[in-house]
Parts: sequence; C-alpha cells; structure tokens
Amino acid sequence: MGVEIAALSFFGLTGAFAVVGTVLAAWMAWRIVEKAGLPGWTGLGAILLTLTGVGTIVPLILLWVFAFMRWPRDEPASAGTFGFAPSRGAAPTTGPVALAGPSMALPDARGWLLSGTLGNGGAVSLAVGGTSGTYALTGAPGGAPTDLSVPDPSVGQPHARLLLSGRRLGLEDLGSPGGTYIDGARLLPEHGPRDISAVRAIRLGSVELALTRA
Amino acid sequence: MASLVTWMLALGSLAVAFLLVGYVLMSLILIIPTWRICTRAGFSGALSLFHLVPFVGSFIVMGMLAFSTWPAGEASPGR
Repeated sequence: MGVEIAALSFFGLTGAFAVVGTVLAAWMAWRIVEKAGLPGWTGLGAILLTLTGVGTIVPLILLWVFAFMRWPRDEPASAGTFGFAPSRGAAPTTGPVALAGPSMALPDARGWLLSGTLGNGGAVSLAVGGTSGTYALTGAPGGAPTDLSVPDPSVGQPHARLLLSGRRLGLEDLGSPGGTYIDGARLLPEHGPRDISAVRAIRLGSVELALTRA
Repeated sequence: MASLVTWMLALGSLAVAFLLVGYVLMSLILIIPTWRICTRAGFSGALSLFHLVPFVGSFIVMGMLAFSTWPAGEASPGR
C-alpha cells in the first residue's frame, strides 16, 4: 500500500511538472514568435502539438523552420511598414474603363500630438502638423524650426527622426544610446523608418510619449 | 577478480562516454536552430548551449528569448 501511494505521488508530481512545463513553454513560445512578427498562436500551437499523437518530431521541424524562415520583423522598412511610395496614379488611359475607381476616404487633416512626462517631472507636448516634413526629436533645446525638443538627459541630440507623409507618421531611430521604443518594441537604426500612425506610445530613452491626433 | 572489476569499469566508462556523445548529438538538433534564433534576436549564439543542461536548459533559453528585449529589435505587437 505504501509503495502504491508512493508511486501515485511520484507520477502525480511528474504529471504536474509536465503540465506546468508545457504551459510555460507554450507561453514563452507565444512571446518569442510574436517578437519575430508572427502570430503568437503559431508558437503556442507548436508546443501544444507535443500533447497530440504527432509526438515531438513536428515541433522540432517547426523549430528549424522558424529558425531559418524569413521573419516579418526583418522585412524591409520601405516594403510596407512605412515607405514613401509614390501614389498609385490614375487609371490607365488606354483600353476600356469598365469600372470607376474606388472612392477615396476623406483625408484626416488633424495633426499629431506627442505628450509625456520628463524624468524631472516636467511635462512635454510636441505638436506636428501639415502633410509632409521631417522633424528631429532631440534632447537639446529647440534650435531649428524642425527640431522637437525633449529636454531629458536620456534623450540623444538628436535622438530620432519623425517623418510626416500625408496621413502617415514615421519614426526612425538615429542610434542614440538611450534607445527608441515603439509600443515597447525596440527600434534600431537598421530598421529604417517605421510607420507609427497606429501606435499608442513611443519611448525615447526614459521618456514615454503618448501619440494622439491633435 | 581484479581484472574482471577493471574490465567492468572500463565497459562502464565506455557506456557513459557513448551516452554523453549521444546526448550531445541529440542536443545539436536543438542547439543549431536555437543558435540561429539567438543570433537573429541579437544575443550570443552560445546562449543556445544551455540546451546541454538537462531538463531546465531549454526553459532557460526560451525564457531569455521570451522575456528579454531583443537587441536586434522586435516586431511591434500590433503589426
């Protein structure tokens, strides 16, 4: 009887560790593939496959595929993340025109507002208007009209570049040691300009700036 | 008797050596792709050698990749 209880306890404990380990692994896989730009459920699914009859060989194959595939994170910035691509232009002039083009949405004429709190407790609010232009986010006091000053020691001089094109706003890191983050994700100079039109917050060094429409 | 003990010890050592080599070879199946994932994330590829640690090694590597900021940059969560 004692042996049976001991065996049940042992297998119960082993099973508990297996469940906890699988859940932990699935959670971590979710986060890892998300950081690479893939949907989180793909990582979760790969780990949960070990619970099915396919065993561990399929997750192993998926690990190799994930390691050597092209990650969405690495796609060139100009290929769709931002890119100041020329407009599509008018319909071709030759040949019959059967259908009219799609109606265009009214452009959002509002500007952009970056607001946050500095390390010393002061507030900073930066407004960006117009439809095109390039602005420098810098820790130095504003000099040029295109300088947007974020007077904080953690912000480089200059730190990053804001690019305005039509209704879209882009951000490019200039390699400042404090780092630039888009909704918590690190932006590096080699990433080029990234579209931040749908982003809620950016961080320059230790200064968190909320992005809203002005 | 002494020679028998010596022979058994030698056989045991050989078995352990084979087991170790086999373990390393099996670990390479995990280490090679993880090395590439680590370098693409901006970490040292040597981090993947944690796979050699039995039981918890894989969790250490996955934890590092999952819960730390990737030096080479991460995709935005909403993309």
